[in-house]
Amino acid sequence: MLNRFFHRPPRCSFQGLTMFASRSAIYPCSGECQLRRSIKWPVTTFVMLTVLLVASIADAQESKGVRFFREKIEPVLKAQCYSCHSRQADEVQGGLRLDFKAAVLRGGDRGPAVVAGKSGESLLIQAIRHEGDLVMPPKKPTLSDKIIADFVKWVEMGAPDPRDREPTDADDSKFEEARKHWAFQPIRRMGTLARPAVLNDEGTGKSAHPTDKGTLIRRVTFDLIGLPPTPEAIEAFVDDESADAYEKVVDRLLDSRHFGEKAAQQWLDVVRFAETEGYEYDRHIPGAWRYRDYVIDSFNKDKPFDQFLTEQLAGDEIEPENRECLTASIFHRLGPVRRNAGNTDIALSRNEVLTERTDILGSAIMGLTVGCARCHNHKLEPITQKDYYRLQAYLAATEEHNLVLATPDEQAAWEAETKTGKDEIARVQKQAQAANNAAEKDRLARLIEDLEEKLPAPLPTIPSTHNDFAKRTAMHVLKRGVWENKGEPVQPRPLSVLVTEDVAELSPGETQPRSQLAKWLTSADHPLTARVIVNRIWQQHFGVGLVKTANDFGLKGEKPSDPELLDWLAASLIDNGWRLKPLHRLMVLSAAYKREPRPPKSRRLSAEEIRDAMLAVSGRLNRKSGGPSVIVPVDPELVGLLYKPSQWAITADVSEHDRRSIYLIAKRNLRLPFFENLDAPALQTSCARRESSTHPPQALELLNGSLANDLAQAFAKRLERECGRDQDKTIDRAFRLALGRAPTANELQRSSEFLREQPLSEFSLALFNLNEFLYVR
Amino acid sequence: MCDDTAVGQIFNLPHEKPTRTRREFVREAYCGFSGLALASLLHDEQLLAASSNPLAAKHPQVEAKAKSVIFLFMAGGPSHVETFDPKPLLNKLNGQKRPEEFGEAKYQFVHTDARLLGTKRTFRKHGESGIEVSDLFPHTARCIDDIAVLRSCHGDSVVHSAAQYELFSGRVVPGFPSMGSWLLYGLGAESKSLPSYVVMPDPKGALEAGQPMYAHGILPAVYQPTMFRPGDRPVLNLDLPKQVTPQQRRRTLQFLRSLNESSLDPADEEFSARINAYDVAFRMQTEAPEVLDLSREPQETLDLYGIGSEPTNDYGRRCLFARKLVENGVRFTCVVSGGGPGNMQWDAHGDIEENHLRKAAETDRPVAGLLKDLKRRGLLDSTLVLWGGEFGRSPDAQSATGGRDHHNLGFSMWMAGGGIRGGQVVGATDAIGLKAIEKPYHFRDIHTTILHQLGLDQHQLTYPHLGRNERLTFLEGRVIEEIV
Repeated sequence: MLNRFFHRPPRCSFQGLTMFASRSAIYPCSGECQLRRSIKWPVTTFVMLTVLLVASIADAQESKGVRFFREKIEPVLKAQCYSCHSRQADEVQGGLRLDFKAAVLRGGDRGPAVVAGKSGESLLIQAIRHEGDLVMPPKKPTLSDKIIADFVKWVEMGAPDPRDREPTDADDSKFEEARKHWAFQPIRRMGTLARPAVLNDEGTGKSAHPTDKGTLIRRVTFDLIGLPPTPEAIEAFVDDESADAYEKVVDRLLDSRHFGEKAAQQWLDVVRFAETEGYEYDRHIPGAWRYRDYVIDSFNKDKPFDQFLTEQLAGDEIEPENRECLTASIFHRLGPVRRNAGNTDIALSRNEVLTERTDILGSAIMGLTVGCARCHNHKLEPITQKDYYRLQAYLAATEEHNLVLATPDEQAAWEAETKTGKDEIARVQKQAQAANNAAEKDRLARLIEDLEEKLPAPLPTIPSTHNDFAKRTAMHVLKRGVWENKGEPVQPRPLSVLVTEDVAELSPGETQPRSQLAKWLTSADHPLTARVIVNRIWQQHFGVGLVKTANDFGLKGEKPSDPELLDWLAASLIDNGWRLKPLHRLMVLSAAYKREPRPPKSRRLSAEEIRDAMLAVSGRLNRKSGGPSVIVPVDPELVGLLYKPSQWAITADVSEHDRRSIYLIAKRNLRLPFFENLDAPALQTSCARRESSTHPPQALELLNGSLANDLAQAFAKRLERECGRDQDKTIDRAFRLALGRAPTANELQRSSEFLREQPLSEFSLALFNLNEFLYVR
Repeated sequence: MCDDTAVGQIFNLPHEKPTRTRREFVREAYCGFSGLALASLLHDEQLLAASSNPLAAKHPQVEAKAKSVIFLFMAGGPSHVETFDPKPLLNKLNGQKRPEEFGEAKYQFVHTDARLLGTKRTFRKHGESGIEVSDLFPHTARCIDDIAVLRSCHGDSVVHSAAQYELFSGRVVPGFPSMGSWLLYGLGAESKSLPSYVVMPDPKGALEAGQPMYAHGILPAVYQPTMFRPGDRPVLNLDLPKQVTPQQRRRTLQFLRSLNESSLDPADEEFSARINAYDVAFRMQTEAPEVLDLSREPQETLDLYGIGSEPTNDYGRRCLFARKLVENGVRFTCVVSGGGPGNMQWDAHGDIEENHLRKAAETDRPVAGLLKDLKRRGLLDSTLVLWGGEFGRSPDAQSATGGRDHHNLGFSMWMAGGGIRGGQVVGATDAIGLKAIEKPYHFRDIHTTILHQLGLDQHQLTYPHLGRNERLTFLEGRVIEEIV
């Protein structure tokens, strides 16, 4: 249904191409690959010529000829011609391929261009010499005289060519080289690698000063449970002179139910967890919070990571009656979903949903930017467009499936109430249509909104998925990513660069496609899954991963700073049954972790940690676990900016407002300003690592914001409660609670001076704003 | 591969020049990759420079004509055929089926059996340039010689949320930085006492794309917009809590600083930056309210914007805020007209007459007042003003009461100031206003032009995300050469 205007860009018009391409470009692509795509146009325009190479008759010279071809000709073809004349090309130009002998023999639209043995009559030679209207290669200066001479010689030799079959993905030079990429190599197994020295639990060498105990326990407590240590815990640790004092602290923290709350936040960032659909309606997905609880529980139970992934990818396939598995499958429901009124384009919407769900598999699990291959073969990574749609094909039958957790009676009552409400809305809608003035229309429009808001709240639900093979989306390679431009049909298959050529597509009759996907991703010889997760855990404890680009292990991602360490960790994860807690333990017990100063540098607490720490220090933290998400009061003006302000229904029980940040609602169209200011993710795409920015609105938030001031008051009250009017005791206690240490004499003096004229709440607020409070060393 | 000259060419010339020869084009395009490598180096350097203060003012990448942008966002999509794009043939064909030769259009609500809808507006030539403007905008029409009307704009989406995302961020999906965030990232802040990227939403309510439309997306939070609230105290957290006096808070800040400094590692830039942020915050707290105080403005200025009389009071106040922000070095200001239910926006599905007469009456005088005020203060030269919505409206009628549907295939926007050559019309739609047929310009071309006027290059202004260098223009945009 694209109109002609978009369909047929005027020839030679740069404008036309970019406009056309943009229709397909719903999903992000890099500037780089876009530029590259846009420069394609002149190439496609000018390269209407055909260059034909004809293979020679085998002769005694063959081995010499083949060697000449391999050394002198093939590299030039690859570098200069393959982008338009091989299977790598987005669109093969002039019908000519130069990447295997048979294609060369077949030739292209202009017929033979090489006459074996006769360079003077060969179009190819004329083209590279720029003799006629053919100018090859089209976007570059003339090839060097030396190269042209080689081609002439090669044609004169009879154009020997050993490439006797059509290449496959695996044959592409891109693939050959890419397979050598470190991240696609098998993980080196335990036994082949020595235990890395940095993991030893005592200091090695002069740079490894173990940090003091107070700093260490604050560090490890924030890193493992996201909360500050209590003064009592610090004291106990400092006083404990046994050799395993630190280990005992670590084990206590790993066993804490708060461990999962801290670890889950990173995973929720990575899978762009939010509880609303975004776009204009930003509908709340009933029961999406269950996924958050599932993640926390899984980390607390130390569920094997392979099982954790499998349940998320295919929980509903594996155990359709198991609520935990169904809850895990909410994974596929977490992305933004565009729903709009009017003529909805169902196929387009389906395409958008599948695209969003496919891209997250790449960034979250494999650490690959697969999304780039949606419109064309990946320009920077060895991922073909076909690979992309084969990956998407695993999800082709996946549909939303809301499992209502209510008795039939409850459901019937709910349905009846809903029907009454909807009938009333329909009645008013008719009135609105009949109304003949704008004021009346507006009044009725608002009335309709009110009525919609009064519809009964959804019943308890698991917003899961299931397979509906009757509605299965037929998967094709979509030319330029436009759903209407259906190319070659495909079935599910792993990415070519990661499997051998003989791995076939899944049969269309496969009843558990996502289980197959999970099986591949979690197999012990998958080179990425284990590396990607151990790197994320390293990042949690060391601020940056061994691979800095935690969502990108591809060719363009950063190389690991210590590949052997990464492999050792990944191999040990797999060998220990994919359990994550032992890895956390190993890392925080290591000499590298315990160093002073913190390697590589102090870490600013995340937005959630700062809020949680202020709650904990002020004594107001409600440590309740799990359950529906909490909606706290925010500036009413911000709520007014919601399309439906009634969506921000503040949780009635105020004690809930003091719960840990992970239990606050993650709403795409209204993020708490406190979180927004302190670099919490935008909730739209996968967030691999939090930024740590510093700017004046942050200072204003922490100084003047209602949360900081409210909790500073609470902190002051706590101090009064615990220390009465004893000022020195108050100051000492305040430092110990907020910073985990006693004040220095200087600090004590300054604080006393301050408190002589200023209220305790200002003192508390100052502590909340201290660098030392906001950072963990 | 590429010689230095070729690389130099990329950086010295606008990337897209229609007069180039084919050979030149090919050469430049090919060298683009080295160009990008260089761009990424430049970018790293800039990041490095910015590490202590990410908002420090930065040098433009190329010659800059403008320093600030004001976007007068007509949310919901004003009709081009009622405003800046007269279509006599549409009136002649009123009530008839759209002739087939104009081609197809995909609409949100209008169906294939719809009839064309003529306009009741009258158009008249204005100014020395003689550009036709409808009677909806008598005040704006008087500024027409400063305005470049773009009659051939187009975007990719016909639904509000996606179109609004594209208008602001170049993508039809949420999650990418808006143009305001990009400008702040590229140029830093000039004002030390005001937030540098300000959005003034319509107090009547929300828009479809919501907050993510204005947001910083993948850029660090420091580049986020500051949303102004209605009323006299527009900036959240600028006010002290009720029980605290400024003297008290000043003392608290001194105390905070003394404690921070006593435990400071002098080598730690991040800690110093944090202390600096508190200083700036305090300055904002004391200085911004003065800037934002309209009570000291002369009556003549208030009248110019229509402040104090209806229906112009609200939009007028926000336009005057915009001028004062620009005057104080604010980089990007968005003044939104429209919010809440569709008819409170320019989203005239039901009755284009009623809707557009009302919305134009609210905004025409304030918009013209802003242009005149900027001009007489010498600010128009360095301030680029952009006017428009996320799309236009359909030539086809949507309802019996004379409404129009969304329309993304051809519609009007305008630019003024900031080095834009006014008094001209660029591009054209077909005879019924269905499609941009002459010099079509996409949102990305508007983005490119804005960047260009502010001395930024779409290829150099990038930010790494998931292994890729993202940029505002997504696909390559063109500078609208006719108007720069």
